[in-house]
Amino acid sequence: MLGWLAAAAAPLLIHLWNRRRYREMEWAAIEYLLAALRKNARRVQIEQWILLAVRTLVIALVVLALAEPFVERLGLSATGNQRTHKLLVLDASFSMGYKPTDKSRFERAQELAAQIVDEASAGDGFTLVLLANPPRVVVGSPSFEPREFKAEIANQHLLHAGSDLAATLQLVENVLSQTEREHPRLARQEVYFLSDLQRQAWLPAGGAAGQLGQIRQLSKRIADRAALAVIDLGQTDSDNLAVTRFRAAEPLATLDRETTLEAEIHNFGRQPRARQLVELLVGGNRAGETYVDLPAEGSAIVSFPYRFDAGGEHALEILAAGDPLEIDNHRWLALPVKETIRVLCVNGKPAGGSFQQTTDYLTVALAPRSGDAPGGVRPEVITESELAERELAQYDAVFLCNVAQFTGDEARLLEDYLRQGGGLVFFLGDQVQADNYNRQLAGDAGGPRILPARLGERAPQAQYRFDPLEYKHPLVGPFRNQEQAGLLTSLVTDYIRLTPHAGSAQVALAFQNGDPAIVAESLHGGRSLIVATSADTSWTTMPVWPSYVPVVQELLAWCAGARLQERNTLVGQPLAGIATPVGKAAMVRNPRHELLAVEVRDRGALAEWTFAETFTSGVYALEPAGATSPAALYAVNVDTAESDLAPLTAAELRSEVWPGIRFAHQTSWQNLDEHPAAEVTRQNKLHVWLLTAVLGLLFCETFLGWRFGHR
Amino acid sequence: MENSPNYLDPRTLASVQGLELRARLIVEGYVAGVHKSPYHGFSIEFAEHREYVPGDDLRHVDWKVFGKTDKFYLKQYEDETNLVCHLLLDTSESMRYQSALAPLSKLEYAKCAAAALAYLILQQQDSVGLATFDREIRALVRPSSHSAHLKQLLHVMEESVPQRKTATGPIFHDLAERLKKRGVVVVLSDLFDNVASLVAGLKHFRHRRHEVIVLQILDPAELEFPFERTTLFKGLEQLPEVLTDPRSLRQAYLAEFEKFLAAVRSGCRNNRIDYVQIRTDQSLDVALSSYLASRMTRMQ
Repeated sequence: MLGWLAAAAAPLLIHLWNRRRYREMEWAAIEYLLAALRKNARRVQIEQWILLAVRTLVIALVVLALAEPFVERLGLSATGNQRTHKLLVLDASFSMGYKPTDKSRFERAQELAAQIVDEASAGDGFTLVLLANPPRVVVGSPSFEPREFKAEIANQHLLHAGSDLAATLQLVENVLSQTEREHPRLARQEVYFLSDLQRQAWLPAGGAAGQLGQIRQLSKRIADRAALAVIDLGQTDSDNLAVTRFRAAEPLATLDRETTLEAEIHNFGRQPRARQLVELLVGGNRAGETYVDLPAEGSAIVSFPYRFDAGGEHALEILAAGDPLEIDNHRWLALPVKETIRVLCVNGKPAGGSFQQTTDYLTVALAPRSGDAPGGVRPEVITESELAERELAQYDAVFLCNVAQFTGDEARLLEDYLRQGGGLVFFLGDQVQADNYNRQLAGDAGGPRILPARLGERAPQAQYRFDPLEYKHPLVGPFRNQEQAGLLTSLVTDYIRLTPHAGSAQVALAFQNGDPAIVAESLHGGRSLIVATSADTSWTTMPVWPSYVPVVQELLAWCAGARLQERNTLVGQPLAGIATPVGKAAMVRNPRHELLAVEVRDRGALAEWTFAETFTSGVYALEPAGATSPAALYAVNVDTAESDLAPLTAAELRSEVWPGIRFAHQTSWQNLDEHPAAEVTRQNKLHVWLLTAVLGLLFCETFLGWRFGHR
Repeated sequence: MENSPNYLDPRTLASVQGLELRARLIVEGYVAGVHKSPYHGFSIEFAEHREYVPGDDLRHVDWKVFGKTDKFYLKQYEDETNLVCHLLLDTSESMRYQSALAPLSKLEYAKCAAAALAYLILQQQDSVGLATFDREIRALVRPSSHSAHLKQLLHVMEESVPQRKTATGPIFHDLAERLKKRGVVVVLSDLFDNVASLVAGLKHFRHRRHEVIVLQILDPAELEFPFERTTLFKGLEQLPEVLTDPRSLRQAYLAEFEKFLAAVRSGCRNNRIDYVQIRTDQSLDVALSSYLASRMTRMQ
């Protein structure tokens, strides 16, 4: 088609042809004509060149206007008047719930998306992708029914998730290439991003350079296939506060003592907020309130001491209301409150006298006040031979003290226990057979790995002291600045050298010679921990030191905390657990009170259930079939990275995220009321501009012709 | 008379063959138009009678004859004419030009005008002479008032063929020397020549006490330059050719041409020469009127 540009030479040829096709005439007054020519030859020549240029340009522009589709393929422009695939990327992350007026950004985006559909030409196809974490393809194959497609847009709910732009772009690319393959008649593709351009999502900060690079590459590939338009729904002066953290200070909540509930409130706005009301709700009822002053772009921590008056599942909520983005003003905590914490202590070296058994100091340390309070920790001591007979799931933690060896069955039992979120604590001693431990529990024989470290030889007898490793690990964190607790003055005379498993195993406490003293690891959904020395005084003086009780309490809290942790997760992350035979038929009731089935998958002797549809923040209840047992509560909270509403500017989008990528950008909230697709469509109207220019040039040519002819 | 063709119109005249007939039609048409007979003598001695025609001056009616014959006759007088007219006809190549807008070429028009003048002058018993010229004098007929003289003049005019370049200046100097008898000099030409030289020549006539009437005969196309298409203009009188788009040069040409005409007009005015510009699509009575006006002035 562009070959027709050669036609632009036509005026030149016509000019030359005309000069050959002149008429001849005798002329008497030639002398005066010659004089006129002599004086005006240069002017006449320039005028002729101007006319020639104008005429050439007219033809060239007409050809370009006709050849617009070809020009578009060269990346110079876009064109209209052909069937178009319009892919709408609707930002459904929770920052779109910001509601400065009577409509939230998300509702506005839905309206504008519908308007884009209304303005499309007949025969255009539509697809819909939700920008979220994880992203979702709602309509993956082009819909040619605008009415149904608009209904689909209207059916979308704001997700309480953050944004994963890279993953979304990957889906967009997939949809584009699939449409290219399956619908070749949709000659043109357009991608509309209806988003608030939240900075965190669009410009991953700092160390996420790799993610930004991925976003750029994907965007480039998308831009090669389609025209891009960003409809920017963000506002620069968006204030927001969010509950960024909510936890129980004590990992195990029991009836016998107060539980300290801590919440962090963060002000993302540029103005400080005074006397912000923060409320605690337990089971939907207000249980406490307080006021905090929040600095600009800063946070404050509030604590609510609370004593539970009944055991069982509790759903707690912190509420800091009063800003246009409501979703992150709540945070939930699912907290199973124990009447008693059951701990199984396996005694590997039974003995007769008082404090002669390996577990004697331990049980005292676990339940120092068991006589004078209801509830609390209830340790239960068994011999190693009884281990296989116990149903471990009913215990919050299992302490294995100086157990000589384990059988394969016992190892599998312990593995299942971990999978159920249980906590294991291994104390060593003179009976421990390191080879057996390594084979059965450390994965040497290809079996399951239960221990966080391999056992080595016994260290030479000497006086060893602890190195707290700067109190980094949560296990020893409480001992910071508590020298009188005696952790560092405890003596160890014997221990077995441990080699932590590479990966997630962490040394929580070491000896001053550098050998690990306590190694901890989260394994199979539970927690496993090994102490290099004994639980009694045979290898260490620690059991008679003041530090022993808090150390044991911390070990218990940390191990038993796995079950608590699995109850609290983020939007988009699946809920999971071990399904009992009854639990296989369980359903999950989501915050919108819809009952949804869980997915069950067999894993060895146990079955695991998972539930992935955690798209809304709030409390989810796993309800066993037939209501044979009370529902287990799970709290799903928003990722407050999304709470920072600082938007990306168009200039930043152009320079940082999409450098060298051509896209239309619309920012004005008001202007969008007119024609959301106007800017992209305007790109389509190149031919209109060209033909307008042609019209102008034709007028110009006529005028110049007349003007030059009258001089 | 109203329905008869208007022979003063060159378009009508173009359909008439023969210079003599053309001359007679012009003059008679002109006379009928002004309703005033130009045929009146100015001598004392009677020569012959002539039948009265409407418009004749009643003072010259011979009442004696009327008494005898009951018809009106005018007395005509034979005497030496006191007026000599020299017609100078340009027959150079440029006079050959005729555009589509004009019914006659400039030369044909000039010939008609000259013939009509000669006819009129002889009818008035005045003497008329003729010179045709281009860059030299091609023919020179001495003035005479004899009625048979007309045929000779017309013959010379009909025989003249345009083929050479003009050189009015030297020609006029030459003629000024050769036209001994003082009279009226009527120049019929497009005057496409060097203006200074032309004016110098005309001035020479004035110096010889001739009355000079310049009838500049131009084609309408030369005054309007109405051409549209690219044209190769081939110069007459051995001037070069020009290939051009006439629209782009029209204004410039018209300016140049007007400059030339202004120079001619100014030269004539400064030397008290009557100047009349005649387009070849224009009525021929302009030529006759200008001559008669000049003659009346001279007689007074």
